[in-house]
Formats: sequence, structure tokens, C-alpha cells
Amino acid sequence: MTGQSKTAIGKTNSARRRRKELAPSWLALGMNVPTLICFVLILAYPIFFAGYLSFHEVGVRELRSGDYAFSGLANYIELFGDPVFWKSLRNTILFVVVSVLLEVVIGLAIALVINENRIQLSRVTKFLILVPWAVPPIVNGFLWAFIFNTQFGYLNRLLYQLGLIDQQVIWLGNSSTAFMAIVIAYVWRTVPFNILLYHAALQGIPDHLYEAAELDRATRWEKFRYITLPLLRPILAVTLILRTTFAFMVFDEIFAITQGGPGNDTWVAAWYTYKTSFNPPFDIGVGAASAYVLALIVGVVAIAYVRYVYKKVEY
Amino acid sequence: MNRMSWRYRLGMNLANVLAICFLILPLVPVVLGSLQSERTLQEDVWALLPAEYTLDNFRLILSGGTNKGQAFQGIDYLPNSVTWFRNAFLNSVLVASSVTVLTLVLATLTALTVTRLKLRWTGYLMNATVISRMVPLIVLMLPLFVVMRQIGLLNTLPGIIMAEVGLLLPYAIIILVPYFQAFPKELEESARLDGCTRLASYLRIVVPLSTPALAACGVIIFIISWHELMIPLIIASKPEFMTLPVVLAGLVSDQFVFFTVMMAICLIGLAPTMLLVLLLQKYLVKGLTAGAVKG
Repeated sequence: MTGQSKTAIGKTNSARRRRKELAPSWLALGMNVPTLICFVLILAYPIFFAGYLSFHEVGVRELRSGDYAFSGLANYIELFGDPVFWKSLRNTILFVVVSVLLEVVIGLAIALVINENRIQLSRVTKFLILVPWAVPPIVNGFLWAFIFNTQFGYLNRLLYQLGLIDQQVIWLGNSSTAFMAIVIAYVWRTVPFNILLYHAALQGIPDHLYEAAELDRATRWEKFRYITLPLLRPILAVTLILRTTFAFMVFDEIFAITQGGPGNDTWVAAWYTYKTSFNPPFDIGVGAASAYVLALIVGVVAIAYVRYVYKKVEY
Repeated sequence: MNRMSWRYRLGMNLANVLAICFLILPLVPVVLGSLQSERTLQEDVWALLPAEYTLDNFRLILSGGTNKGQAFQGIDYLPNSVTWFRNAFLNSVLVASSVTVLTLVLATLTALTVTRLKLRWTGYLMNATVISRMVPLIVLMLPLFVVMRQIGLLNTLPGIIMAEVGLLLPYAIIILVPYFQAFPKELEESARLDGCTRLASYLRIVVPLSTPALAACGVIIFIISWHELMIPLIIASKPEFMTLPVVLAGLVSDQFVFFTVMMAICLIGLAPTMLLVLLLQKYLVKGLTAGAVKG
């Protein structure tokens, strides 16, 4: 009796499975339909469409009428003939190099500090590492704009109280200090990401390597130089790729702190695209061309990093 | 290594103090700025601590500009950002929550197929995902603006939500994949032996047991969406559809008039994500690390 009912249940189960079970490839397709639609609509299509726009005349009038006249390389010729574009590009590259370097150095330093868990205070530090990351980029921009403000800013107040200055310094009105202000603001917000990754990687280095080095009477520096640093290489490569591509897109801090000023001394690539496209003269064609140039540079950097910097590591 | 010299201990403690200062000191001016009136701020340009504290800035903002209090008596002009603040806050909550839910659902489905089914084309899909994470946002913004304009989604919340889901989806997938990959196959297989279909075994076994990962991913997406400026800036030009960062961005032209109000708005704007980060720090750390290393 019981045996019979068991086989009956088994049969209906397997029958149901045969009827309802999709082949894995169909199941995968079905589960991916929404994602694929999203990818095509919001990522793939716009990338091609941006390319299309960059070869067409697109201004306010064309947007209204909806037809864009083919203009060949006109947008690119205009772009490459624009000294402001070259200036923005130079600024961007300088910004990327300086800020990524600072992110790596500061990130690594703080990661090493919190990695020493025998110091009680390092727990507090560890708890706080994500604080700058929690600040919205635009808020971050304003907060540094306030700090660097000439008349009421807290940097001038602090330096005066420390007796370092006796009159207000115009931080944001001077090209080089304005540039540094943006770098500082950006690095402060983005460094937690690096701290996090370096910390995780440091935790992954097995103790026995350091113990062996101690038997050989290695100094602290030697341990760092010959054990820690080589083993951090993969994660250093990862952060270099990611941070470089993100630094190329810096926008919010520029928007809030300098608006590209003084003059156009702190224009960067993303700001150039934004200004040419969404401010007079609303030249979306040229804007698209400049965005495409930026994307190409980022692509080349990413490939170069993966190829030449990234090496596998074995413990 | 086992015993620390006093010099090492002192040096490390100092280094920790420096690191803590680096992490939180820049936020002090925001707090101090928001707690004083513009008059106090301008009277003594060298003082670090205000002579007088007031909550008038917060009263003004939270009342949408109607409750002027002492600090703003006789001031007629108020920045748009104050009047639209409450509306923008609600928009931000709405946008960030919708983006989080939608992204999480789509990313879960895709991450499951990538890790559990392991077909050749899902592998390609994963590669495409990793690459699309590096496409500069500004490249997507122009075509999105043109397309959204054509289909009438400019100046709508759905337009903003759609664009943000598309942008954040790759990141969510990259965060979730390592979690699902580490999930033991045996549990799923035993469910299949009991007659579950593949999909049911995912939805009933894998997904419920991955709640911490999903939560971590969801919070990360929420935070990034809360922070997003460029997408809503370009899609919403009317104040009633602006999110908090866009309304804040409007302060650029007002910053010389109302620094204290600006700092108060900034403080309220960063509070939600700061709370999330401090409360859920442990989960976030795991999610962010997974999303960067194993993707």
C-alpha cells in the first residue's frame, strides 16, 4: 500500500518535471530578457547612437525637428581645432595621474595602519573608513568649496588660528590651488574604496610568510618590500584600472567647486562635453565627439592596464 | 612581531589619529556651518567656532522656506533649493528605492544564470558586463538625453529610474556573481531531486539563503543612486522632478549668499547614506570588496 503510493508520487514528480522543465539555454534566455533589454536600450544603443550623433549636425534646431544632417568629420575637426578641448584633455590627464597616485598612496597607508589589529585605536579607524564614501559627490564638492572659500572658508580660519597666514588666501581664484582643491576633494571621497580593497588583500596574506621572514631577521621595511608589496600587485592593478577610468569621468566636484574656473583653467573632459552640449551653443554633435574621444582613451587605458600591469600571484 | 616596541606602538597610534582626522575632519565645517546664522559666519571671519549657535537653517529648509526664524528675518530672496527641498527629498527616496528594487531583481536573475547555468553566452554576457562598467557615463548621457526627449521621458521620474537601472545593473551583477558562485551546489541539487525545477530551486533555495548578499548589494545600489547627479541633472530640468543632488546643484549660483543654508542642506542630504554606511558597515565592506575583486 505504502510502496504503491510512493511510486505514484515519484511518477507524478518526474512527469511534472519533464513537462515543465526548460532546457538550460532557454531558461537562461528567459531569465536574462529584462537585463538584455536594459543593456541594449541603456548601454549598447546609446554608445552607437553617440557615435552616430558625433558624425551629424545636432543643435537646438535639429533636436526640435528631429532630423540630423550628416556632417562627416566636421564635429571632430571643430573639436580638434578647439584649444579649450586640448586644455581640458591635458587637465584631465594631469588630474587622473595626480589623483590616482594619491588614492593609491593614501589608501595603502591607511590600510596598513588598520591592518595592525593589536592597536586598539585601529578599530575606530576601521569603523570610519567608509565615511567619505557616504558623502554624495555634489555635497562633497560644496563642502570643499566652503572649506576653500576665501572670505568665510574654514581653511583660512584654521591657518590663521595656527598663525600661518595673516590675510585671506584666494584658493579657488588661482589656477594651481583651484586644481589642487579639486584633487583633494575628489581623492578624499574616493580613497575609502582603495583602503577597503587593500585591507582585504592584506588580510589575505598568510602569516607564515612573515614568520619565515622573521626567522631570516628581515626588517619591517624588507617585509613590506619583499612580501607585502609583491602580493598586493594584483589588487594594485585592479584599483589602478578602476580608479583611472573613474577619475577620467570626474564631474561633480568640478561642478560644485570651480565650475571650470578660474577662466577655463580647471575644465576637464566631462565638463567640456557637458558645457558644449547643455549650455549655449548647445552643440550636441561636438559634445558627442568629445565624449567619444574620452571613451576611446579610457578603453585604451583599461586594455593596457589589464595586459601589462595585471599579473597573477601565488601564495 | 609578537611584542611591539613602545616606539612602534606610539607611531601606530599617531598614524591612527592622523587617519581618523583625515576621514572625519572635513565634515566638521559642514556641521559648524549649518549651526550658525549667516551673520555670525560673516561677522568674524577668523573664528573657528561660531559665537552663537542656531537651528534656524534647518527650520527654514524643513519648512520649505516658510519658517524664517530670527536668522532670516527681513530676507526676501531664498534659493530655489530651499523651496523645493522637501519635494526633492521625496523624489530621491522614490527614485533610489525603485532603482534598488528593479536593479536587484534583474541583477539576481542574470547573476543566477551566469553562475548556476554556466553557458557559453552567459560567459560573454558577464564579460560585457565587466566592460560596460568602464564606459564613461558622459558618453551615454547625450544619446540618452536625445532618446528620452523623443519618447517623452524627459522630466519624468520613470525616465530617471530607467537610466539609473541601466547604469547600475552591471555593477549589481558584478557584486552578486561571486556570492552565487560560492553557493554550494549540493543544496540546489537536493532540491532538484525533490522535484523542483531549476528556476524554483534558485528562487526557493539559492535566493533566500543569499539574503545578506542581496541586502548588501541593495544598500550599495541605493547609496549610489542617492548620490547620482549627472543623470537626473540632464533628464530633469523642471524643479518638480529634480532629485536631491540636482536641487543641491542649483545652489552653485547661490553659494556666496547662503553658505550656512547650503551646509545645512548638505548635512540633511548626506545624513541618510551616512546612517546606512555606519549601521551596515560590515555588509557593505563585503559587498564592495566582492564587487571589485572577483568581478
